[in-house]
Amino acid sequence: MRITPEEVTALLLSVKVALFSLVVMFPLGLLVGWILAKRDFPGKSVINTIVMLPLVLPPVVSGYLLLILLSRNGPIGGILYDLFKIEIVFSQFAVVIAVSIISFPLLVRGIMTGIASVPSELEDTARTLGATPIRVFFTVTLPLAKQGIIAGVILGFAKSLGEFGATLMVAGNIPGKTQTLALSIFSAVQLGQDITVYRLVFISTILAFIAIWITEKFQSTSISKILN
Amino acid sequence: MKDIGSISLDFSISLGNFKLEVDCQLHQKVTAFLGASGSGKTTLLNCICGTFAPDQGVITFGDEVLYSYDMKINVPSNLRRFGYVFQEGHLFPHLTVEQNIRYGQSRKLRREKDSISQEIEILEIAELQNRYPSQLSGGQRQRVAIARALAMKPRLLLMDEPLASLDGGLKSRIIPYIHHIKNAYEIPIIYVTHAISEAMALADEAYLLSDGKIAASGEPHQILTSPSVLPIANLTGVENIFNLPVTSSDQQKGITELEIGSQSLVVPYMDVEIGERIPIAIRAEDIIISLEPNLPISARNILRGKVDEVDDQVLLSILVEEQRFSVKITHEAREQLQLCKGKEVYCVIKANAVNLLWNEG
Repeated sequence: MRITPEEVTALLLSVKVALFSLVVMFPLGLLVGWILAKRDFPGKSVINTIVMLPLVLPPVVSGYLLLILLSRNGPIGGILYDLFKIEIVFSQFAVVIAVSIISFPLLVRGIMTGIASVPSELEDTARTLGATPIRVFFTVTLPLAKQGIIAGVILGFAKSLGEFGATLMVAGNIPGKTQTLALSIFSAVQLGQDITVYRLVFISTILAFIAIWITEKFQSTSISKILN
Repeated sequence: MKDIGSISLDFSISLGNFKLEVDCQLHQKVTAFLGASGSGKTTLLNCICGTFAPDQGVITFGDEVLYSYDMKINVPSNLRRFGYVFQEGHLFPHLTVEQNIRYGQSRKLRREKDSISQEIEILEIAELQNRYPSQLSGGQRQRVAIARALAMKPRLLLMDEPLASLDGGLKSRIIPYIHHIKNAYEIPIIYVTHAISEAMALADEAYLLSDGKIAASGEPHQILTSPSVLPIANLTGVENIFNLPVTSSDQQKGITELEIGSQSLVVPYMDVEIGERIPIAIRAEDIIISLEPNLPISARNILRGKVDEVDDQVLLSILVEEQRFSVKITHEAREQLQLCKGKEVYCVIKANAVNLLWNEG
């Protein structure tokens, strides 16, 4: 079994995009997860619904909405083009955006479950011991929410690796540029390259297996718990 | 020492249907707030430490305003520097005992190795320092929680039923530590409890909280005569609490005698001055009712009294001189002895059934 350079490129692109998305979205995920887990405010359920929406929407629909927003004629894409002459659609950056939006709910859910499991009495206790809210977050909330956060990160990362529908809509399927692992499987199937399909399917399955296995094996906050 | 006549609590807070309303000045080194569960004790402490903001009123510590509705002041809890010992300890499970104790210290103190040596010595936790909270017993956990609150060099120590989660034997082992703290640290202590014996053992002044309001205040033994203390007393299982003067104390015979009007109550020997008043507790089920005074039995006390009240349950109220005794008997016994209001009876009490409430550790 030999992997072709094109397949390596696709695999590396998937990993690169997933990592990049994770680095960018993690701080935001922490903030949103913390707000949803610990704060009460009017309209919280609306925020929660919006964040979770991509989990339920067909990825193609999310991708289509992104396409409308980001294209040169769209509200966001238009501004970016006018100001910086940047075109996001059908670029690697579009892959990152698509993947980030789709995996964000899983990341947030993990973080939220982790943070919500930290008893607020412990956080209040830390405050009475003189800790500022920031110090409480980093020395009490975060370490105690670790399990859920790690689960959310692994799950979100795995989801990013395999994202298909939204990426196809907003970034296209350009070999060497925006063709990720999942997209190259799709292309291979269409071209009837069975051997290639088997190889790529095998790689994808192994990656997903490892991700879930790690969380289930080392975590008490398992994936099944997050999805409940 | 900071002038401790200067803690002023004058505020109210509503939580759902419950309203806590207090107005008091704390003057003593150790102030106890005594109340049944749901009387607002924990809410009171949460307002003092800043975890809750009252709805209105003023809280001051010395000349520092901690909370004022009118001035829109609410000092956040991390700036108040009040040590808070919680009922369940609330130790950080991911930190070792030493890290827990040092959590509230300033950066400078955290670097000084011996900056927690006083706490470690007083609370005897030297061997526990490298353990995690899950590896500690209930009593050890509570000692660590107390050490943690003290190590931050607090200006005031708040204790919320620190003994409630411990069983009887452990309780009496922790009380001496708190006594020690009272003497070793120059800070006022506010101690909240539903256990009268703890308030008697530790406090210089006590407030009785009932349904969110202060029902009585004074020296701990004074407020025990307050009728509103009775429901709490029933909860703790120590129904009879008296503060009686010593008439004689004989180490050789091993007994001390206390005065109850013209009669006397014999208790096990204790090293006390004649004339000194000491607080004692007798459980309602430890008293036997007899219709005869001259019984050939070992119990040292046979006190003459009158039935004052027979309630539908199994609790009798008997007046011995001016003191009211609650006695638990069965229905059958009540009927056989034909106990009714006004009947003359004798309360038979073993000397060893009388518990001394204070504990000069």
